[in-house]
Amino acid sequence: MTLFLQVLANGLVLGGLYACIAAGFSLVWGVLNVINILHGSFIVLGAYVAYFAYVALGIHPFVSVVLAGGVLFVLGYLLQTGVINRVVGAPVLTTLILTFGLDLLLNNAMLVAFKADYRKINLANPLGVVDLGGVFLPLDRVAAMALALLLTGGLYWLLNASRVGRAIVAVRMDREAALLMGVDVPRIYAVTFGLGAVMAGAAGSLLALIFPISPLAGTLYLGKAFVVCVLGGLGSVTGAIVGGLALGVVESFSALVFGPEHALTVSFALLVMLLVVRPTGIVGRRGYE
Amino acid sequence: MATVLVWALALAVVLSGVAPTLPGPAAAADKALRVGAPLPLTGPLSPEGLKQKRGYDLWVAEVNKAGGIKVGGDRYKVEMVYNDYQSNTPRAVQLAEKLISDDKVNFLFSPFGSGATKAASGVSEKYGIPTIAATASSEEVYNQGYKYLFGTFTPNATLTEPLADIVKGKVGDVKKVAILARNDLFPLAIGQEMEKSAKKRGLEVVFFEKYAIGTLDHASAITQIRAARPQWIFATGYINDLILIRKQMADLGVSAAVVTMIAGPAYKEFAEATGPRAENVTSAAWWHPAVRYKGPDVFGTTENYNKLYQAVYGAVPDYVEASASACGVILQLAIEKAGTMDPRKVRDALASLDATTFFGPVRFGPTGQIVSLEPPVFQIQGGKPVVIYPVAVKQSDLRIGVK
Amino acid sequence: MAVATLAAVVVALPFVAGNYLIRLASFAMMYSVLALSWNFIGGLAGYPSFATAAFFGLGAYAGAIAQGHDVPIVLAWLAAGALAAIFAGGLGLALLHLRGHYFAIASLVVGEVLREIANTSTQLTGGGMGLNLPILRLGVTAQARLFYFVLAGLAALTLAASLLVDRHRLGVGLRAIQQNEDAASMVGIDATRYKTIAFVLSAAFVGAAGAAYASWVNYIEPADVFDVLLSVKPIVMVLLGGAGTMLGPVVGAMVFLALEELVWRNFLTIHAGLLGLIIVALIFFLPRGLLALDVRLLALNVRRRFARGRPA
Repeated sequence: MTLFLQVLANGLVLGGLYACIAAGFSLVWGVLNVINILHGSFIVLGAYVAYFAYVALGIHPFVSVVLAGGVLFVLGYLLQTGVINRVVGAPVLTTLILTFGLDLLLNNAMLVAFKADYRKINLANPLGVVDLGGVFLPLDRVAAMALALLLTGGLYWLLNASRVGRAIVAVRMDREAALLMGVDVPRIYAVTFGLGAVMAGAAGSLLALIFPISPLAGTLYLGKAFVVCVLGGLGSVTGAIVGGLALGVVESFSALVFGPEHALTVSFALLVMLLVVRPTGIVGRRGYE
Repeated sequence: MATVLVWALALAVVLSGVAPTLPGPAAAADKALRVGAPLPLTGPLSPEGLKQKRGYDLWVAEVNKAGGIKVGGDRYKVEMVYNDYQSNTPRAVQLAEKLISDDKVNFLFSPFGSGATKAASGVSEKYGIPTIAATASSEEVYNQGYKYLFGTFTPNATLTEPLADIVKGKVGDVKKVAILARNDLFPLAIGQEMEKSAKKRGLEVVFFEKYAIGTLDHASAITQIRAARPQWIFATGYINDLILIRKQMADLGVSAAVVTMIAGPAYKEFAEATGPRAENVTSAAWWHPAVRYKGPDVFGTTENYNKLYQAVYGAVPDYVEASASACGVILQLAIEKAGTMDPRKVRDALASLDATTFFGPVRFGPTGQIVSLEPPVFQIQGGKPVVIYPVAVKQSDLRIGVK
Repeated sequence: MAVATLAAVVVALPFVAGNYLIRLASFAMMYSVLALSWNFIGGLAGYPSFATAAFFGLGAYAGAIAQGHDVPIVLAWLAAGALAAIFAGGLGLALLHLRGHYFAIASLVVGEVLREIANTSTQLTGGGMGLNLPILRLGVTAQARLFYFVLAGLAALTLAASLLVDRHRLGVGLRAIQQNEDAASMVGIDATRYKTIAFVLSAAFVGAAGAAYASWVNYIEPADVFDVLLSVKPIVMVLLGGAGTMLGPVVGAMVFLALEELVWRNFLTIHAGLLGLIIVALIFFLPRGLLALDVRLLALNVRRRFARGRPA
């Protein structure tokens, strides 16, 4: 029983992190209809910001979330206005290949700047582990997960309660109607992309404490973001949370049942099956496929 | 009209890309011996590729300082020809061919790791160019019956056997072993060797699972290990995997009498990234700066090698760097023994070589893999890897207990 | 006339060039096969397939396993192509009702799943430790030439198939599907059947190429033959040359590989970034590919792109 509970706990904690990784990606995909291949690299960049902030200035990675978010927002906004805005209406292939090319650029830049060596933040006072009747919960993961959910919740609040947020939702629902209502669509696109980048940077900052950091990790995060989005449904924050938690739990249990080597295969196979049967995901709505 | 332009453009591009391969003017009068080395200078394996390069460069500097390699009555300076295969194995194969057929290198040093070494060895075998591998230990690499491939790492069992002996001997109550291996040529192969070594000594392997390349989370596997309560945990992978696994073991409250990890603890990056949790982790490798050997090679003794390395690079060498330098040293000894650069004769000289070098005693088996090394076992104590076997160079004893 | 000279160059190449150049040219032929094959489903039908890597890897392993069981080499290649085709047929049933991004992702993930299966089926595929193939008892140059001609032959076959499809009702139907699938159905085109045929065509030659590649390099690993770049590069090549045109994929493959070789030779640490830059430039300034290139239009396009904010 403890084994079951532990595996479940592992999955949920992991799932919270996955949700944070995917939230920004889902937003950009849902609103701009752009698959942002740069997302993984954004996360890594956020992690580096946190790493250097810690090593040079002693800033705790949880605090660096703000810093990383800020840096990434600027980068994302600029990238969108300068480059991506010009292909927003273009076919799927064009945007995919474009963001792929941009990602090659960013990744190479990071490799040259930071080298491929794996780095890790080791806190002088680690948060430790809590033992709940045989189920161990590493506090740094739990804290990261809590913060991740908080951030995602913040995004949700932003989308529903602020003017900019409402404008974003309006553009997602019907671009033409939003235009007619006086929404500055290109600016909203830029803000959305920027927000997506913020979520990525923030996620990176949180993850810096948990995973080794290197430009090479970007693709792995991107892969997870994909699966979470399809699982949970596009463009909605709830979708990212549901999808993330679902993926975390599925991976955790399939590693137990099928063996760790098959965990990846199972999640991918699940993804394909879902795409075939219910492409809109658990929470999503029709019309995006 | 546009189509013609396009074809012209395409042709021009192709030609300009190809032009560098056309033979240039004859090289300077200085006699040079060219050694090709395709390396992963960019991409995921670049840290290791750069280590190999440092090892080669140090050897080249020393040998040229001494006047070059003696070939019969002449002396030849050594020239390394490097190419970057971007951590992409098919490219490594492509480059091996380019180095041999276009750059006309006389000899080849293998790319990094068992997989790429194996893939590229087909090329050098076809061309009959003696090739020495600095970082390939799995017997599967040498199982194609090739005659021109030689390797400086002994088979994986030579790491697991002494480890198993020490653990069985020093840790009285060890009965159960758990093995977690990355699903990749070398990590999996050595995981399987560990299983054999453990079973041979009557230990029970209570867990043996593989994890996929690119696994971000090992919690499930580690939770299962915890449930099995082994006294000895053996994890294999590359440095990023092991850093993560060690951390997650601590996260999930897993402790054991002995925790062994291959191959990461030898690098200082492991201790740096893992911090205090690296303490008492054991590992094994094919060389350690604490060993002491003396021989007729250009470095002379292990201490001298360490000193020279430290002077140039400001750090203590690890086994990858030493192995790369060893490739150079071994090649040199073979050429000097053969008295010629003729590939066939050098190959035969390599096959029959019996010498001691700063790296250790060198003798190759029938498959081309070295058989004469006694790989040291070490443990991280006080944040640094410390040798605990073989007895001749031991610096400390095994400390039991990893939290 | 132009065709005859081109054919002469192709045939004569391995007898005048060094081994490395032959190897490069062989890769050019192989990628031509991949690009031409992708053109069926991506360029003509407009379905952004990322399954090329899946078909290639499947063919490579099928060929390697067959050869390991003493199947004669050419038969192994043919069998691999057939297997890839059948697999695509079945896969098409599951995936071809998806559109746009979803189809793209699903096709990409199929490759990942196959790679993981190859990684874990150690008994059959050697798993993470890879699979050996028997070396041919031939001299180095003879082997280089042999594989060059095999891949060139495969490229010629694929090109022939493209030309055939282009002139046939199938080609027209596929283009109609790309324009507007629902409208195409309404005028009586059996969209499902046509799409499936295109998908199968996009797999058959790729599978055979994978098997030939395996025989050529003598050792394969899941990560190499299921590499996602095997799906992405052919797409970039087709876009470069001109999607939907017949010669575009070939031109694109040659130019792209030449560029890649140039960049990689001369810029050690930044070649990946430069490649990315080239891709971005391609998207902006050559949206319809090289073959649709009109220099004056290009200049206009460049000026327009740098104008204030309006997406072109």
